[in-house]
Amino acid sequence: MSGEEHAVVDVPEHVLGRWASWGAAAAAALFLAFSGWQLWQAETDEDLAYAAARDTVLDSGKRHLETLNSVRSGRIEDGLARWRAASTGPLRDELRRTGRSDAATLAKAGTTARAKVTDAAVVRLDTRAGTAELIATVHIRVSERGGAPTTDRKRLTAGLERTDDGWKLRAVGAVPAEGGKDDS
Amino acid sequence: MTTSTRDADTPAAHTAKTEANPAADAGRNQCLQLRGRLAASRVVLAAALAVAVLAGGLMLFGAYRLTSDESAQNHALTDREATEEVSGEVGDALAKVFSYTPDGVRATELDARRLLRGEAATQYRRLYGQLRKRVTEQKLTLTTRVVHTGVVSLDDHRARLLVFLDQTSTRDGDQPSTAAAQLAVTAERRGGEWRIVRLAAR
Repeated sequence: MSGEEHAVVDVPEHVLGRWASWGAAAAAALFLAFSGWQLWQAETDEDLAYAAARDTVLDSGKRHLETLNSVRSGRIEDGLARWRAASTGPLRDELRRTGRSDAATLAKAGTTARAKVTDAAVVRLDTRAGTAELIATVHIRVSERGGAPTTDRKRLTAGLERTDDGWKLRAVGAVPAEGGKDDS
Repeated sequence: MTTSTRDADTPAAHTAKTEANPAADAGRNQCLQLRGRLAASRVVLAAALAVAVLAGGLMLFGAYRLTSDESAQNHALTDREATEEVSGEVGDALAKVFSYTPDGVRATELDARRLLRGEAATQYRRLYGQLRKRVTEQKLTLTTRVVHTGVVSLDDHRARLLVFLDQTSTRDGDQPSTAAAQLAVTAERRGGEWRIVRLAAR
């Protein structure tokens, strides 16, 4: 092996290597650009953001409806505080107003209620305004002092509003037969 | 012959060697340096490529996760047109199959045969089979009206809905009475139209 032999073999290998390197670098750059673009597309996709908001609304709505329809006798004040935490706007104002008499009524009857949302769907969502509506069916197991527990089935419409602390209920109404609507 | 060649060769080779040595060494050094630099730049390049492939792969995976999760695959509300279409078709279907008049028993049955499939069709046949005679005998009328419809999940072929219904029933001559009904409905798209395949009371 002499120096001359090295030179003769190295030149094409070197040139080839350079071409290969440039090619690989270009391919990598293209791949990076493509995947970055894909990720950017997914992150800024309005439908995806809207779908995520819809599911957040549904989850929050279900949870808050269960909270609002549940109370434990003996821990009524606690329950009422939870009701207020699940609500906003007009509903919270109303709960504040009626809190004292609600507590008295519940304490007198010794009411314990456990609500479970059996089904729910978002029917309207305005992400810009931060408002949404959902419908839900709820089973509420109610027991009063000395009485046997009963199961109450309700169908509800609920209005939600986006707050700094997530989506909260601003109105809840039962949907009785005849299509009439009484807000509670 | 061999000795003379060797004798003749040796000094020449020797002198050639001693003269060529510095040049060859320089060449070899250069070559080694070049090789070293090449090797170094290859390592750098390989590392950069590995990082690029990894980063790109991660980004692609991130994009895939964002676009393929359950929330993204559910087109309820995000596809407004499809949401309205399935709500309308399923609502109409329910109103039709859960409404009957003493004279229209056959029509209701035909609607049900067209609009209900699978499990829903079986359930309905069982229910309606018992009811059918009484409808004509006792002159029963049932009118079902859709109050609210919500789409829980929706894709190209399948949808889940929650429907609030009001059902007004009358027995011949009696006052009508209205009851609330809530149904969880599963529908499938067959031949471009939504058919109800499962019904469950809520």
